[in-house]
Amino acid sequence: MWSMITTSFQNFMGTGLIMGWYLLTLVYLWITEKDRRKRVLLLYAPLAVLALYFNPLFARLVYAAVGDEIYYRLLWLLPVTVVVAYGTVCVYDRIKSRRKYWFAALCAVLVTVSGSCIYASPHFHKAENLYHMPQAVVDICDAIQVEGREVMAVFPKEMLSLVRQYTPLVCMPYGREMLVSRWQADNPLYDAMEAEVLDMNVILPLAKTYSSHFVIVPEGKKVVGNVEDYGFVLVDRIDGYVIYQDPGVYIGL
Amino acid sequence: MAIIAGCFILCIWLVGIPLLTGAVPAFFMERRKPSLAFMWTSGYILSWALFQLVTVPLVFLRVPQGFKAVVGLFAGLSLAFAAAGAFLLLRLVRKRAWRLSLVSGESGGSVQHKVYWGIFLILAALQLVLAVGMTYQDGDDAYYVAISTLTESSNTLYELMPYSMGATGFDMRHGLAPFPVWIAFLARISGLPTVSVAHVAVPLALIPTTYLIFYQIGRQLFAKRKERLPLFLCFTAILVIFGNYSIYTAENFMLARSRQGKSALGCIVIPMVLLLFFLILAQAEKKKDLWVLWVLLGAAVTAACLCTTLGTMLMCLLLGVTGLCGAAAYRRPGLAVKTALCCIPALIYAALYFVIS
Repeated sequence: MWSMITTSFQNFMGTGLIMGWYLLTLVYLWITEKDRRKRVLLLYAPLAVLALYFNPLFARLVYAAVGDEIYYRLLWLLPVTVVVAYGTVCVYDRIKSRRKYWFAALCAVLVTVSGSCIYASPHFHKAENLYHMPQAVVDICDAIQVEGREVMAVFPKEMLSLVRQYTPLVCMPYGREMLVSRWQADNPLYDAMEAEVLDMNVILPLAKTYSSHFVIVPEGKKVVGNVEDYGFVLVDRIDGYVIYQDPGVYIGL
Repeated sequence: MAIIAGCFILCIWLVGIPLLTGAVPAFFMERRKPSLAFMWTSGYILSWALFQLVTVPLVFLRVPQGFKAVVGLFAGLSLAFAAAGAFLLLRLVRKRAWRLSLVSGESGGSVQHKVYWGIFLILAALQLVLAVGMTYQDGDDAYYVAISTLTESSNTLYELMPYSMGATGFDMRHGLAPFPVWIAFLARISGLPTVSVAHVAVPLALIPTTYLIFYQIGRQLFAKRKERLPLFLCFTAILVIFGNYSIYTAENFMLARSRQGKSALGCIVIPMVLLLFFLILAQAEKKKDLWVLWVLLGAAVTAACLCTTLGTMLMCLLLGVTGLCGAAAYRRPGLAVKTALCCIPALIYAALYFVIS
């Protein structure tokens, strides 16, 4: 249990530098802060939360109730940002000369070096539209959806999390559950769609078992098998993807 | 034209209604000179608590076309609250007993003071611009945003599977924390696409809300040195922007996943509880008590339950620890008792969660 707690804490604090600044500020405030209200809210209560967080008995209770994945969220109860900012300004206040401006600049630089800019995260990228969806998802969904009814479409991996955020009218035989390994979801159609070579002799018969109206595959991938043998036709090429349709499945038009 | 009208309606529901709703508790505050910041933030907390109280029973009872009922009931109650707030505001304005202020008392001062305000406002504006211009693809959106989209289009509450197919079993566990339904409500009332409301409009409203809470906490911390407030806010903004030291931090959730209830819990509700305790303990120091603050604390606990089911436990822990520390430090057991009473909504939702699990 103890190792799980410490692993969770280490994962939360990353390099540990910001958390280090936080703990240092707590020590500074413990020594210098006289205001009872601030001591209660910025020192005593957060330290009590930390004590509970590192208590194996408490952790066992929480793990049993909500699982181990979200134990780190207890650390959200620590007012890290408020305390570090407040402590920095308190020190700034004590410096009487012009050196305090240099101190403020130095602290700002230290924070930027100790932390990590969120916008530099690889998950952040330029929005392609006001839906904040890749334009390919928007264009393909617009091309295949039918107003007032649902269509079934098989999508490649990179679109699974996005399609149903954009439109509820497009259903999929499998979705995000395939992307989370710990859920251990299994689907032969997904495996065939993510193979290096797309074998239509495997994909299309499986797609038919879900009454799929459409199968969308990346244009750059090698494809074997003749789609027409299974009643599918190529209907469009959009943003680097090929859309095949099974006209045999009723679409309501 | 429809888009402009939708944006205007969204502004009313994300700015106007919370401000007027927040005018109700602001009216009952001690000095009756509350800031717009207090009205805005307490308005959000009250609105979310109200939304939780309206929605969860409808989810639980599996009312047919439940979302339609949510929209009607919540819109009606919100407008009633806003009307009451407007009435109370007018009373104060007529008596000239009140003036609107956001940064009053802090906006004057030296050049350095103004420079710090400028830096903070630039950093805050930068975050808003990037909230529109950049996107963060998070796997959990496949559930939360898809639930909002499905709810808005189908009028059902947690009866459709978000990940892939149409109908599914009833998802009561997530239905206890219907923050995505609040986003669906905003989409329905504005007529804008749900996915845009979730990814663009909600961050534009919630990021400033967090800073308005930091601003008020700063006012409490620097009551006698208000000239330090803008520097404090500069550091909070820098710490938020560079708060990506791991993907688990509240700051990461604030900027990357603003549309998820977890983010609202970590970056709005929990800081709001801290602010409320600052105000409550300020009253305790004067040997006074202000009932409206306890009501707001109870509302914050209920709002936390709207954000995520984990909110129940986090609120009980936060209020328990802070209430006990406050009661011990001020030798006032009443503080602990009242704090415990504020935990009742969380205990009820936690009990429901365990019954369902």
